[in-house]
Amino acid sequence: MSLGAEFAVTGRELAEKWGRFTLFTARLCAVTPRALLRPRLLVEQVHNTGALSLVIIMLSGLFVGMVLGLQGFDLLRRFGSTESLGSAVALGLLRELGPVVTALLYAGRAGTALTSEIGLMSATDQLAAMEMMAVDPVRRVCAPRFIGGVVAMPLLAAIFSMTGIFGGQLVGVTLMGVDAGQFWSQMRSAVELRDITEGIIKSGAFGLACSAIAVYEGYHAVPTAEGVGRATTRTVVTSSVAVLVLDYMLTALLL
Amino acid sequence: MNSATDPGARAAAGCIARLAGVSYAIGGRTIFDGLDIEIARGRITAIMGPSGTGKTTLLRLITGQIRPGAGRIEVDGEDLARLDTDGLYRLRQRMGMLFQNGALLTDLDVYENVAFPLREHTDLPESLVARIVLMKLQAVGLRGAARLMPAELSGGMARRVALARAIVMDPKILIYDEPFAGLDPIAMGVVLRLIRSTNDALGLTSIVVSHDVQEIGLLCDTAYLLSAGKVAAAGTPARLAADPAPVVRQFMSGEADGPVPFHYPAPDYEAQLLGAEVPA
Repeated sequence: MSLGAEFAVTGRELAEKWGRFTLFTARLCAVTPRALLRPRLLVEQVHNTGALSLVIIMLSGLFVGMVLGLQGFDLLRRFGSTESLGSAVALGLLRELGPVVTALLYAGRAGTALTSEIGLMSATDQLAAMEMMAVDPVRRVCAPRFIGGVVAMPLLAAIFSMTGIFGGQLVGVTLMGVDAGQFWSQMRSAVELRDITEGIIKSGAFGLACSAIAVYEGYHAVPTAEGVGRATTRTVVTSSVAVLVLDYMLTALLL
Repeated sequence: MNSATDPGARAAAGCIARLAGVSYAIGGRTIFDGLDIEIARGRITAIMGPSGTGKTTLLRLITGQIRPGAGRIEVDGEDLARLDTDGLYRLRQRMGMLFQNGALLTDLDVYENVAFPLREHTDLPESLVARIVLMKLQAVGLRGAARLMPAELSGGMARRVALARAIVMDPKILIYDEPFAGLDPIAMGVVLRLIRSTNDALGLTSIVVSHDVQEIGLLCDTAYLLSAGKVAAAGTPARLAADPAPVVRQFMSGEADGPVPFHYPAPDYEAQLLGAEVPA
């Protein structure tokens, strides 16, 4: 097959997959109102995707904040403005690093768990059994997990940014000797509501994308051990790329 | 009693499901070619056949999980081709299905698995749900296992829980996919008796897909033997056992070679050995 023909085939396959994903997401959104009537299932999923990711999110947030504190201090010292460290750390985390790194960690921790769980349910006929019991698996299994992810992501991003700011303060103020009053007052004067809104919008969008991708890949996984493994890998790769592409688009829109 | 071929019995008992001229192909491979099957109301009908003849595919056709390329499928008075998704789901509430491995929901315990259809389709108070679930679990002898998780059950127990779940909505038709596969003789006997007693006590129609000739012979009223996409033989187990057709004889007596060949199609053996060809 010539290179052109191969590109054509790959392009068609990508378009088909994108089409299937769009239809599936539309179906997810259509059943979401009915899924919202079962709050217990949603709370369970917010716990599974959110609360169980807390340790990795907080730990990562702390170290990302500490690195920001170190790098920021080194950079600002060259310009003699180390007192701006607080605002640099906070803005970097709230607008960019918080939502993006949280989404990447979410894809690796909760996204893979969602995909493999749904994929294994399919491989062990649990989804088929639900269909035979006249229960739509997209409504009963996929929608609560999707909504759970969408709700959990902004909360996780907020916690990530919070621990990150604490980490930045730990390094900047405690280790490097930046004045605590200046650190916090500069941060308070520099951070505006729109910075926080930008972070929330981004993490909401990442939550939608990552959860939809994870659920889609699980639901459409080939019902074998190999198939579920491949689907889990695709979830991480596709979610990560989607987060970075979306991040650029949203940053360009929101600036 | 041979209800498949006896019009009198068929008229008396009625026919709850009917496949007429059903053809189905997937990936260019024909699975069924003009299949005709009638499932008599209130009886146990067995679908038998060698592996790969499409027995499970047949169940998926009857339950509307897949649609035939040609032909007509009627279940409980409904033409499946005319049903939309909601109609199909309403029909499935009148059907129960037991999957080969039980297909229990692994994140729910035995009690919640059996209660699952009730919680999804009814607004019954918890006290009533509890009574129904306990009655169904008692019927399969697993009331004491209500709080076990599916991972803690043996294969036979999982199938009995799945049976309790399948009958919890009091269906008209109960479908069993390979209910005896991988069971020890005791568990097999238990499942065998449960299928018979459930069918008779609840006045159900049962469709059992299996290739366990001995067990099916003890259980069913009518059996269909599928081969090469068609019905090779139909009738009572005794009639099938006496059928002289080679494909029926091979299946019923478990001969390794016959109309269903032992060898998968391959190039000439001698030529391949002498040429030392590595299979492409």
